[in-house]
Amino acid sequence: MVKSETFPASRNRVEKVNAELVTLTYGTIVAQLCQDYENNYAQVNQQLDKMGYNIGVRLIEDYLAKTATARCNNFRETADMISKIGFKIFLNTTPTATNWSADGKSFSLILDENPLADFVELPDDGRAQDELWFSNILCGVLRGALEMVQMSIEAHFVSDTLRGNDSTEMRVTLLKYIDDELPPDDD
Amino acid sequence: MIGVGKIKQYSNVLDKPLSKGKQEVSLSAFSFLFSELVQYNQTQVDNIAELERRLEDAGYSVGARVLELLCHREKGNRRETRLLGILSFVHSTVWKVLFGKVADSLEKGTEHEDEYMISEKELLVNRFISIPKDMGTFNCGAFVAGIVRGVLDGAGFPAVVTAHFVPVEGQQRPRTTILIKFAEEVLRREARLG
Amino acid sequence: MQFFGGSDVSPSPPAPTAAGHNANVMYMFNRNGVCLFYREWNRPLRTLNPQQDHKLMFGLLFSLKSLTAKMDPTSGDKGNLGVPQLPGQGCSFHSFRTNTYKLSFMESPSGIKIILVTHPRTGDLREALKYIYSLYVEYVAKNPLYNPGTPVRCDLFDTNLDQYVRSIS
Repeated sequence: MVKSETFPASRNRVEKVNAELVTLTYGTIVAQLCQDYENNYAQVNQQLDKMGYNIGVRLIEDYLAKTATARCNNFRETADMISKIGFKIFLNTTPTATNWSADGKSFSLILDENPLADFVELPDDGRAQDELWFSNILCGVLRGALEMVQMSIEAHFVSDTLRGNDSTEMRVTLLKYIDDELPPDDD
Repeated sequence: MIGVGKIKQYSNVLDKPLSKGKQEVSLSAFSFLFSELVQYNQTQVDNIAELERRLEDAGYSVGARVLELLCHREKGNRRETRLLGILSFVHSTVWKVLFGKVADSLEKGTEHEDEYMISEKELLVNRFISIPKDMGTFNCGAFVAGIVRGVLDGAGFPAVVTAHFVPVEGQQRPRTTILIKFAEEVLRREARLG
Repeated sequence: MQFFGGSDVSPSPPAPTAAGHNANVMYMFNRNGVCLFYREWNRPLRTLNPQQDHKLMFGLLFSLKSLTAKMDPTSGDKGNLGVPQLPGQGCSFHSFRTNTYKLSFMESPSGIKIILVTHPRTGDLREALKYIYSLYVEYVAKNPLYNPGTPVRCDLFDTNLDQYVRSIS
């Protein structure tokens, strides 16, 4: 993960769109998955995470191109970059990184604002409130993006205001740093 | 909710304070999300036509939702009843909310009375795309065509809406044209209204 | 940096006359050594098959990175020769020059490696490589039809790259 300075060229200014376009498109994706997986929410959560991973793998390149690159010294710096730069650039919101574990390997992101879930209601089929993590794609995005910069992490939601919880909280845990691969052997 | 499943329709949402629609996020966030929508749907289909149909369906629910939001917010629940009114609503109001600008042009088809075209030099969903030869005439604009159909349908103007690339002289990239073909009933009603 | 042999045994190619003929070849690799992109503008000599050529280039970069970091006199924190380093870790080289060509190199922290081979008299291309990387982000990473990790076949990227490369001096 990288520390950030603004890259000088104007080509890297952040172009904006109305947040509603993203909100509505995301809502449609979740709705499509619920239909494709016949409201099996465990599978929907899993698929959202997988899609997020695919997004993260691409999105990290945009992040790196938009910010100057220096390696983070520790996972706390990484957490700061995620909330203050990553979320800020892409979703124009800054979640709080808090509740650090003693070993400094896991923290919570508290999302006070969540553009993905604006004016959303979960289906009231008696199950979605307990089973669907509506914004689960974000866990995958972090997993994919960090894996590309050699950090293997695990992320999951522990609460969501859409479910009636007081806050929306994602728990992120560093599993390990990944080594670069050796070039393939001649054969 | 944008309709997670068909269980819940949009009823209670209107009781909540609506967002003012002024908040912005990065274009990249949308582009990556849209890319994944395309990638996911590619795994669910066997051919290009089906892929476009699924993108159009996704767009349709966005369109239906946009209409609800805009009618509530900008028009005090008053709806357009005339053909040109609804077309200009799509071309300017809807476009502005979704894409930050009015569409480049709105034209009437020259050969068919029931056809209208909204064209965009660089449609947001086609901005970063390169289409491999084996995907033929595939056009991500199907998503936007779906949005347009969703808005029109919701407003009582059923139509068939499709997206096409149209080469532009002197330009490397084709523009995207959203072709709207209204249902017969719409034209009959329009004729009655005089 | 001079490799293998005397300084000016063979004559260097004629100096570029007009802008736009300085780039010879470009490679792009991902972290796993997959050659995502290869493009030739001017490469009359071809002795290897493309797979061997790409593999050799990736191997060369890997060894050079490792070697240059090992030789770094300013830092005590070095791995063993041949042990992989994290991108951005330690020092890294950005170009070398022979009498007949210059090779410029950048690596993103996500492991994307861009290699541009140009006329030996071209200047510092670090900003140019960053720009090429940003073209990759716009027209490859954001292309809804591109699958990450697979060879890049994107018209928009090719066109914009060709156009930009012509301006390199």
